[in-house]
Formats: sequence, structure tokens, C-alpha cells
Amino acid sequence: MPAAALTPLLLTLKVALFATLLATLFGVLFARTLGRKRSVARDVAESLLTLPLVLPPTVLGYYLLVVLGRNGVIGSWLLDHFGITLIFTWQGAVIAAAIAAFPLILRSARAAFADVDASLEQAARTLGLREGAVFFRITLPLAWRGVLAGALLAFARAMGEFGATLMVAGSLPGRTQTLALAIYDAVMAGDDARAAMLVWISLLVAIVVLLIAARLLQRRRP
Amino acid sequence: MQAFRRRRFVALSLAAALATAPAVAADLTVSAASSLANAFADLGHAFEVAHPGDRVVLNLAASDVLLRQIEQGAPADVFASADETTMDRAAATKSIDPATRRDFAGNTLVLIVAAAARVPKALDELAGPGYPHIAIGNPESVPAGRYARQGLVDAKLWDALQPQLVPTQNVRQALDYVARGEAQAGFVYATDAAVLKDKVRVALVVPTATPVRYPIAVTAASAHAQLARSFVEFAASADAQAVLGRHGFASVAR
Amino acid sequence: MTRLSVSVARHLQADGREFRLDVAFDSDADVTILFGPSGAGKTLTLHAIAGLLRPDRGTIRLGEQLLFDRARRVDVPTRQRGIGFVFQDYALFPHLTVAQNIAFARSRGWMQARGMDTADRQLLESFDLAACADACPAQLSGGQRQRVALARALAAAPRLLLLDEPFAALDAPLRERLRGELLALQRSRGVPMVVITHDPDDVAALGGRVIQLHEGQVRTPP
Repeated sequence: MPAAALTPLLLTLKVALFATLLATLFGVLFARTLGRKRSVARDVAESLLTLPLVLPPTVLGYYLLVVLGRNGVIGSWLLDHFGITLIFTWQGAVIAAAIAAFPLILRSARAAFADVDASLEQAARTLGLREGAVFFRITLPLAWRGVLAGALLAFARAMGEFGATLMVAGSLPGRTQTLALAIYDAVMAGDDARAAMLVWISLLVAIVVLLIAARLLQRRRP
Repeated sequence: MQAFRRRRFVALSLAAALATAPAVAADLTVSAASSLANAFADLGHAFEVAHPGDRVVLNLAASDVLLRQIEQGAPADVFASADETTMDRAAATKSIDPATRRDFAGNTLVLIVAAAARVPKALDELAGPGYPHIAIGNPESVPAGRYARQGLVDAKLWDALQPQLVPTQNVRQALDYVARGEAQAGFVYATDAAVLKDKVRVALVVPTATPVRYPIAVTAASAHAQLARSFVEFAASADAQAVLGRHGFASVAR
Repeated sequence: MTRLSVSVARHLQADGREFRLDVAFDSDADVTILFGPSGAGKTLTLHAIAGLLRPDRGTIRLGEQLLFDRARRVDVPTRQRGIGFVFQDYALFPHLTVAQNIAFARSRGWMQARGMDTADRQLLESFDLAACADACPAQLSGGQRQRVALARALAAAPRLLLLDEPFAALDAPLRERLRGELLALQRSRGVPMVVITHDPDDVAALGGRVIQLHEGQVRTPP
């Protein structure tokens, strides 16, 4: 594989991986907090957290640019206290992709946790465990398949993130130009040969991810 | 019986007449470079006033992108690009009617910084520490980026500034990044800087070996060739030149 | 003799149906039986005692400790009540082995304790489960599962043991045998028990204090 294609591929995998980890962490956290009970307040909260899924990526990208930019609420705080800029960096791309993918994990995780037999969690409580321990020793081990399925969806979404990433991280070759952005730039520049090669690579990666997913989610026979 | 048949005949012929009548209300799709956004909005309105019933639909993007769309069959009637290179390619791929091609405006490339920022006096100051991000149109698809690259190559700064350059999708995005403070400097047209004159300041004019010229032409596959030709002629007319002048474009007689 | 005092009320609504629980009883017997037909509120009462259900009003006292008092806003969390619970479907942790189920309470933290200590091993032996220590609950028979559930609850050294229809899923000869074993267990460990059953044979065999429930209320005087 020519170096020109390897760079966006490796960058895409790096960004998608970190974005998925970030999204999974917060997805699991929020799913746990929302819990099994359904109430108006909780459903509203879940809807708000699911917004990135329905917002057009450019709208999401715009708001991220405003919030994470130098003059933004979070951006200026990061700059003043840590000297960190997120715009035009791969870390910014990670955040954009993580936010876009987060709702997928939230829903999957919440459903997976709710599917765990409540009496198992209750039994753990009667045996003296605090809520955190109940979650880590009972809920999570029994719900991991659902969470993993959500994480794989999130990974696919993060790999394909385009609109928000373009606005927040730009399309800087070697630094933030992921596969999706590289394909777009190649098409716009009239380089169909390069575009085609990048498309084939994206396809290959997608197939590999799906195969891995199928293996991981396969039920082991007892 | 007879009356009914006659009424049906009248209805049918009316329908036929309407179907074959010349398009009374036509939509003229004008694909124009991003830097022409504001000026062409005004020109579009003026054209509509002069041609009641017809509508001008603006399609704005980087010139190369517009050409790609036209090459792939997008139904544009008029193409106005920000450099001759793109129009030359359009002619080579037979996407335009070469007889209708003419230059209609000129521009200058400038270096801008945020309004409150320190103004650099020369291009080589960009190599210093205060400019971690410099916005420039992607030279592979944006004429403004090509002009800027040419200017930087001529100033022997192109290689040195590579790590700092942020390529954008079109010249307006470069303008936005500087206005927003995400890029500390950027290369845009003088006309773009004027659009956000309270947010950005022109530091200096960038000399370009090729002058910035805007050619316009009727597309080869236009469905409204006659109307498109009127628009092209209109763009070169004195009235249109006055409008363009108000937006900061230079007049071009060709 | 630990005295159990329960006086609670709870109103439940689901799918347009209502249920009012309003029970009050005291008992310092070794074996207290909650007897009544299905839907009488026996399980709800047991859940309230364990802290798995929060009553609308009332008090629950075990020995010297006040476990619940709505008026004084006392509600000791389940994990601190020291009350063991054997669920109707046993609620064995499917992802853990028999040994791990029994040793579950030995660690109250986020990690399962490794191996078994002496006390847990004794339980394993006395419940005749040594042979299937490494088996998973799915591989056990009904009788074995019930014993694991009992052993697990006892491993936490509870002050009170609650059993919800412990013999319901078993056939007649097994039921007879296990009743005897349960009584022997009670005598040897001295842990007071509250047993739910709708089977009069259980009542006859286990003896102890019988409290009849019917449609959410206690029939016999406390």
C-alpha cells in the first residue's frame, strides 16, 4: 500500500479507536446513571444526549467549533489553563467523532443494562455489595455483549465521521485528514485514481471490522 | 354531446400549448466561485428585475469543485471561476461553450489577520512563532490557494510554512477561521476581507505572478443557453461592473 | 431470639391494576412462615424487609436495629441490613461458578475474591456441592441450585434469612428432603428464617410461627 494511502488509514484508525474508547466510557457512565427506571425526566435527558445522532453533522461541527475554539467556553479554558488547542488537531477530531458516536453506545448500553435480570442485582445487594460493585461484578459482565455491539457501531460511525470533523479539525494531510476527508479532497481535486484507492481501503477496513464484530459477538456454546 | 366534446378539445389544446410554449419562468443556475457570493447575490437580483419571471439560482463553492460538478453532469447554466486555470480545464473537457468565455472581474490576494491582532509587515514574519495556524485555500481545489501558493513559492516561504498551513475547502472558510481566531493569519481576496471588515484586517497585498482574473462562460450542456448568454453579457455590462466595483472587484475590460 | 417487627403499607399500580399492601406482624420465632395464595403480597413483604422495596409508610425493626421508618426518614440500604435472601428463581449469578457464587460476599469491592476461604469451603461441603464447585449454574439440577442459593446467602453470615418459595420448583420427594435439611440448618446455625409458601405441607413440616396473608393484608392477629 502506497504511503499516501497508509497515512490517512492509520490516522483514521487512531482517531476512531480513541473516539470509541471515549464514547464508550461516557456512554456506559450515562447509561448507568439513567438506569432502568423510565421517567419523563430520564427520557428527556436521554433525548438530549441523543441529539448528536439527529443533528446534521455540520451543525454539530459548528457548535463544537464555537465551544471548543479559542474563544469558546471550553476552548478558552483549556487554552488559558493548559495551553491546549483542539481545533486543527487529531485530538479535536477524536472529540468530534466521539460526540457523534456517543448516542449509539448510550442506547445500546442502556438497553443491555436493562436486560440484565434485576433479581441478580438485588441478590448482589443482599450480599452486601455497594452499587458500584454491583455494576462492575454483575451488571457489566452480563451486559458486555450489548455494550460491545454498541461500541462497534460507534467505531464504524467514528471511522466515517466527516462533517463535524472537517469543521473542527480541518483536513490537514498527515494530521487530521482521515480516510473520509482524504476521499473528499481527492474527488474535489479531480484525482479519481487516488479517490478510488482510498475508497477500496475504506471498504476493506469496514469488512474487517464487521468480521471481527461477528466473531466477538458469537455466543460461545457452554 | 357536441358542446361537451368541444370543451374537451379546448382543454386539451390549452394543455398542449402550455406544454410546448417557451419556458415562461426559467431557473438559471449560476455556479460561481465562493468569493463572488455577495456580489453575485446583488447581480442575481438585478438580473431578475431585468428579466421578470426568471430566477437566478446561485451555486457557490470553490471553482474546482464547481467544475467537477459540471463535468459530472450537474445542470449549471453559467460558470464563473476565480482563475483562468480552472476555466482552461473547463474548455479542455468541453464543459463550456468557448465562444461565450470572457473575463469580467479582477481581484487582489491579501494576507489578513484578526482585527485586534498585530499586523505583520512582511510575508516572512509568518515563519515566526506567532502564527501556528495559517489558513489557505486547498491549492488542489481552490484558486485562492493556488494564488497564495504561487506567492509563497515566489517569496521562498512555501516549504518553511508547510507545518503551519491549514488548507480550507474554499476561500470563505479561510476568512472564517481568521475571523474566529482559530487561524492567526490567512490568504483571502481583498473582497472577502471587506465582507468581514470589522473582524479581520488586511495586513498586506500578496503579489501574484498571475493576476487574479475571473472568467465567466455558458456551460456546454445548458438548457437555457439563450438566457445564460444574456447573463454572461450582463456580467460584463457597465451596470454589473458598477455593482462588482462596489464589492471591491476590479473592472476588467476584455 | 431476634424479634422482627414489621408494619408497612405500600400502594402499587401497574397496567391499570392496583394492589394495596398493608401488613403488620411481630415475630421472634426461629421460623416464621408467610402463608397465603398467589398474589397475596408475600413476596412484596419479604422484599420490603430486605430493603428491595420501599414502603409508603410504616416501620421495620430487627432486634435492636431500626431498619425502616418512613416518618423519621430512616431507610437502611439493603447491603447494610445483614439480611440474606433466597429468591424464588434462586438468582444465581450465571457467569460465575458455584464456588464463586458462594464466595461472592467475601469481597464487597469491585473485584471478586480469589478462591474460597475455610468457612466458604465448609459450606460447600456441608451442602454437598463439592463435586460441582467449578460448574456453572446452568449445568445444575433444581435441587443443587437451591442449595447453592442457600449456601451463598449463608456465606454472608446474615442475621435473618428470607426464603421466597424455596421448594416451589422441586418435585415432592426432593421437597420433603430439603424441608428437613432446612430445619436442621436453622437449628445448627441459629439464623432465624422467614419462609414464604403457599403449600400447606410446608407449613406442617416446618412449623414455627405462621402468618397468613390474603390480598395484601394479614389475617391472623399479630
